[in-house]
Amino acid sequence: MAELVPPDSRRCNYFFLYDGSKVKGEGDATREGICYFYPEETPLDKQELLCGQLAGAGRCVSELSASPVRILRLRCTKFAIRMKDDFFWALGCSAEVPTISACELLDQLINLFCFYNGSVRQSYQLYSQETLAARWAQYLSHLQSGSSKLQHIFSCLRTIDSTNVDPLLLLKAALILQACQRCPLVLAGCVLFRGRVVSTQMSPELTMKVMVHESETYTKAPSTFSSFGGAVSSTTVFLTMPELQYLQSAPVDKDFSSHPTPHKNTPQKKTRLSRTLSDTPSAESEPSDTGSSQSPLKGSFSPALSDSSVFSPDPLDPPPQPLQPPFPNGKHSPEAEEEALEESYYYRFHSNEGGVSRLHDEGDSPFEENSYLNGGGGRGDGGAACGAAFDFRGAEESHHDPVFTKEASGGGRESVQGRQAEMPDAPPGSGASDSPEECPLVPMTLYLHRVNGLVLALLVEPHFLSDTASMEEVYHSSLASLNGLEAHLRTICPGAPDAPGPYIFAHFDCIQSTLTTNLSGRPGGAPERPFVRATSLLHSHFCNTETLQEAIIRSAGAAVYGSRSVAQETYFQQHGGSLRNSGVPNHQDSAFLLPSKARHRLLKHGVNLL
Amino acid sequence: MKCLLIASESAEVLFQWTDTEFQQNVQEQYGASQEEGHGLPAFEDSISTLFAPIIISCSTMVDRLSDSYTSFTTENNHIYILHQFDECLYIAVNGDGEEGEGDLRRKIYVMKKMIEVMFGMVTLSSNLLRRELRPQDTEQRARLWKHLQSLLETYSQLRENDQSFLVEAVERLIHPTLCEQCIEFLERRLVQQLNGSVERAGEEVLHAFILIHTKLLAFYSSRNASSLSTSDLLTLIIMAQNMYPSNIDLDDPHPEDVESTSGSGPDSFYTPEPSPTDRDSSSSADKPVRGSTPVFEFVDPDVQMAEDSLQALEVPPPAPSTPRRVFLEVSLKDGLYPMMPHSMYCLPLWPGISLVMLTKIPTSAVAMSVYMFLEAFAKLEKRLSEGQEGSAATRGQPTIHDVRSKLDKFIKALGPSEIQSAQLQNVWTEFKNRAFSRGGPGFNRDLIPWCKNMKTQLCGIYRQCFLIESGKADIPQRLSPSLQERAQTMMQEKLMDWKDFLLVKSKRNITMVSYLEDFPGLIHFICVDRSTGQMIAPSLNITERNTSELGKGPVAQFIKSKVWSLVSTTRRYLQKGYSTVTLRDGDFYFCYFLWFENETGYKLEAGDIPILPDESAPIGMLAWDYYRKLLRYYSKNHQGEVVKCYELLTVHLGVIPTDIILQHCRQLASKLWEPSRNPLL
Repeated sequence: MAELVPPDSRRCNYFFLYDGSKVKGEGDATREGICYFYPEETPLDKQELLCGQLAGAGRCVSELSASPVRILRLRCTKFAIRMKDDFFWALGCSAEVPTISACELLDQLINLFCFYNGSVRQSYQLYSQETLAARWAQYLSHLQSGSSKLQHIFSCLRTIDSTNVDPLLLLKAALILQACQRCPLVLAGCVLFRGRVVSTQMSPELTMKVMVHESETYTKAPSTFSSFGGAVSSTTVFLTMPELQYLQSAPVDKDFSSHPTPHKNTPQKKTRLSRTLSDTPSAESEPSDTGSSQSPLKGSFSPALSDSSVFSPDPLDPPPQPLQPPFPNGKHSPEAEEEALEESYYYRFHSNEGGVSRLHDEGDSPFEENSYLNGGGGRGDGGAACGAAFDFRGAEESHHDPVFTKEASGGGRESVQGRQAEMPDAPPGSGASDSPEECPLVPMTLYLHRVNGLVLALLVEPHFLSDTASMEEVYHSSLASLNGLEAHLRTICPGAPDAPGPYIFAHFDCIQSTLTTNLSGRPGGAPERPFVRATSLLHSHFCNTETLQEAIIRSAGAAVYGSRSVAQETYFQQHGGSLRNSGVPNHQDSAFLLPSKARHRLLKHGVNLL
Repeated sequence: MKCLLIASESAEVLFQWTDTEFQQNVQEQYGASQEEGHGLPAFEDSISTLFAPIIISCSTMVDRLSDSYTSFTTENNHIYILHQFDECLYIAVNGDGEEGEGDLRRKIYVMKKMIEVMFGMVTLSSNLLRRELRPQDTEQRARLWKHLQSLLETYSQLRENDQSFLVEAVERLIHPTLCEQCIEFLERRLVQQLNGSVERAGEEVLHAFILIHTKLLAFYSSRNASSLSTSDLLTLIIMAQNMYPSNIDLDDPHPEDVESTSGSGPDSFYTPEPSPTDRDSSSSADKPVRGSTPVFEFVDPDVQMAEDSLQALEVPPPAPSTPRRVFLEVSLKDGLYPMMPHSMYCLPLWPGISLVMLTKIPTSAVAMSVYMFLEAFAKLEKRLSEGQEGSAATRGQPTIHDVRSKLDKFIKALGPSEIQSAQLQNVWTEFKNRAFSRGGPGFNRDLIPWCKNMKTQLCGIYRQCFLIESGKADIPQRLSPSLQERAQTMMQEKLMDWKDFLLVKSKRNITMVSYLEDFPGLIHFICVDRSTGQMIAPSLNITERNTSELGKGPVAQFIKSKVWSLVSTTRRYLQKGYSTVTLRDGDFYFCYFLWFENETGYKLEAGDIPILPDESAPIGMLAWDYYRKLLRYYSKNHQGEVVKCYELLTVHLGVIPTDIILQHCRQLASKLWEPSRNPLL
């Protein structure tokens, strides 16, 4: 078996879809029913054996219990099972993988398939088995690709490393999405960079689905629109009714973008809020918001100003420097870019203190930046024409942002919580929302605009594609900002992985489905293994016991502390220290200091454990 | 909705137990077609039909993939646990959420343990066990199944309500003076008299103990006896409870009784002189097996030795004075002998109080020989199947030539007895021809079936010796009824004045009240000494009429359920190598500690604890002694030291600062065992 992924880091050992309706009579061969089997190089008789036996035993059990089988375990492998109509899906993982993660992975996989192909039964009527097999393989390899064991445990969304990224850029991405939403045909979108989320307006589940297509188009170039220079593509996707309702329930103005970006945790509100406020000038470089209402500048500024004085901003005071001119070829040096941003931030902040009138005067520097940003994009369309008006519109809007950020993120969290709260009623792992075939699927279109590694993905109404005006509007309004954003993001070096500190932690945000950790993604680190093992056990325990808040578990080699609330799960392990202990209860034991150490250490990673 | 099923590879039901809900469910699904067919056979048929596809699929998976199902979970949370022991597949089902995967797996292992205690080495031959578990005669089968079913129900009931069966350790009644008196009485008066009597028919009382419900008041082992393992003792308690169930709701202690018991807090906690241990146990064991000609005093000419003609024998319903044949582990100087035959006499003194005696039967030396031969053939078979041949396959202790001469003598000794040994002799002759003759094939793979055959034959001999009641024998093989009666009367006289006290005391063994002052915020604890298999915990009586400190009804019930789930949670962590666990759960803070000490009480460094797969045997001491294995594993690095293993579980109010909680745990850990270092057994 030639495997690209080492078996160690593989999430799944087996995956198959078996169609029982094709094997009804005595004479029917089991192979007729095998729609897809992974690994594909498995000998056919073994495929038949597994499919036939598992599906048979599964059906027998489900008849006895009058309910479909969810988990089936062999001695060495555990299978997450889905039984629907005559279809039988099985996804086999090694025994260490938490059961809940295996079930999640299978659900993700099936939902992905339905997202891009519509209902499974129908797909198998429309397309050849080979075509669909290629798709299963594609989705499976996408879900398995290059993530660490820790990420497998949580099935989290991969985001850009926000500690290395200037928050301004996150805001920028959010604004691009908002701007696109002005077009009534656009439901929601997300901005991705090299397979990682920069900003999204969609639920984590939906974002995850969209990302598959993105990574696919990264390598291939599917149907494109010649008029847009090959950077734009689209594909039909299928949303479930709850997904669609969720998207439509959000008023377009409502700033959803701020909630899914990382680092918007409640405890951090203060600093961030002030930062967002002072960040405003960067938003002025958004020339994209054509034709939306503008409120009087002063009116919108004054409340924000008073806010900003209350929330004392970071004492980030770089000495004012003259702005460097852009490079002659239209590209600018990253340093210059950064400084320019900082510069504007600095001026803006100080000008805020000076009062509204001065703000106007100081508006020069962002102006300048704006102009050369557009120049940098190489497409002058709209840039100069937008002029001051757009500029300040942007500023005004982002002054609204902080307020919205608070409300929208709060609201968003609540609604997600609400959904989660409903879940426990259903049997665990079989969330009603993730059975796509139960409710009709609504065809929608996924619109993708790529600028090198950066992708703007929008879920749009199907007739968006025929509506040239809307399409052009969305395209042109976002193009320049995308170029700018791409240029910024490209220059951010991945950042040397933190020197392995005296501790390991993992922080999982259940709402946004994001994971923060100081653990390198590469497998094989010996000291990591006990941590990953403990995390996987504790995560399962947290999932099964609603009332559990905190846990410390210790083996001979490692003590790990886990803590969870409705919104997050945090795991912490301290290296070194005196591991020598007798295990007898002792209040001076270092293991019991873990909670306070975690609280301390993790603050600097933006994790607040109260 | 619960079910436990044992099936053979050919999907034949060897045993089934279902609750009424499950039975109804099956009948609804199956019943439509055969309405009139009610009663046992019809239900048995339908259950076998329903499970057949799973059972057959299971053996297909084993054959072709060398893997097999261990569990199924459905979306409505029905759990199916499967486990194969040799050729018997056990399936446990729960559909009402009352049992988790661990509970079901435990139930399977406990069922297997009880079958072992009842059938001994016959369980080593799947072929013989199948016949034993599923007698041809329907009435006999019904009787046997009913007995096994009620044992299983007794066990489940105890596991759900009795803390000692929750943690699988023996709980003693804490009353040191009475305990001491009783041990003395058992030793000087009772056992001595019984063993000196001519009416004992060659039997010898090895162990005698007094049970108050499930709690042990006193335990005495004779000097000749090897120690009784915790696993066996717990199984015997289940059997005794099954014979004379104690109705928990019946006894309602009067307030003044409670008063008298609450004084026995931790302060008055001490243990009397230890009863003699197995120091001198070698005297009987050292009798060389080889030379002794077994004497078979019972006659059963109907027994056919040919394997396929083994008839189900008529077993009359046991008379009250008929002992139970039990097969228990015996540890002697030269090794561990599992499943050695004993007779168990359970004499009820009063409702809830009984005297249990275990006797050695005169022919038990045969069992040792059989076990030794079985082991030799099993080893040989293993080596041969690993591909070793010739002398490589026969090395080891005892040598094959040793076995040969011993077996020759053994068969010779069987000759004049009533045991049908012709078949064994034939197979042995054939084996010798193949293995030892010069021109023969010698030791290679072809010998494997003959090893198997030899094992089956030996199990057959064992079955004849120990499992078949000698109904027609002139001299019944037991302590005479009058002797039993005398023992009963003696004990009753001794405990007459204590009886009411004991019954109350067993409900209020130790109470939380006595700890509240020293440990504010402590709600409950369980402390277990795993080296001796004993536990201490405040009583948790959850009955309608009983009020404990926890109060009545829902609150007490809630705390009880928390304690129960805590035990299963910590076991899961222990299985994965974690020996310290603290949990903040709702309004409670739970702690669990496992640690090792040497004999002087010095705390040893925490070592690696093996990480076991999910489907491994359940952690406990009843069905499979995890802690014995753990101690052996840990002791590897502590040669020459006696290592002891302790566990402590506590439940505190969540508002108590962690520091204080940990101090409590420390104090409890050091305080609880201090006066009771003496081993119980």
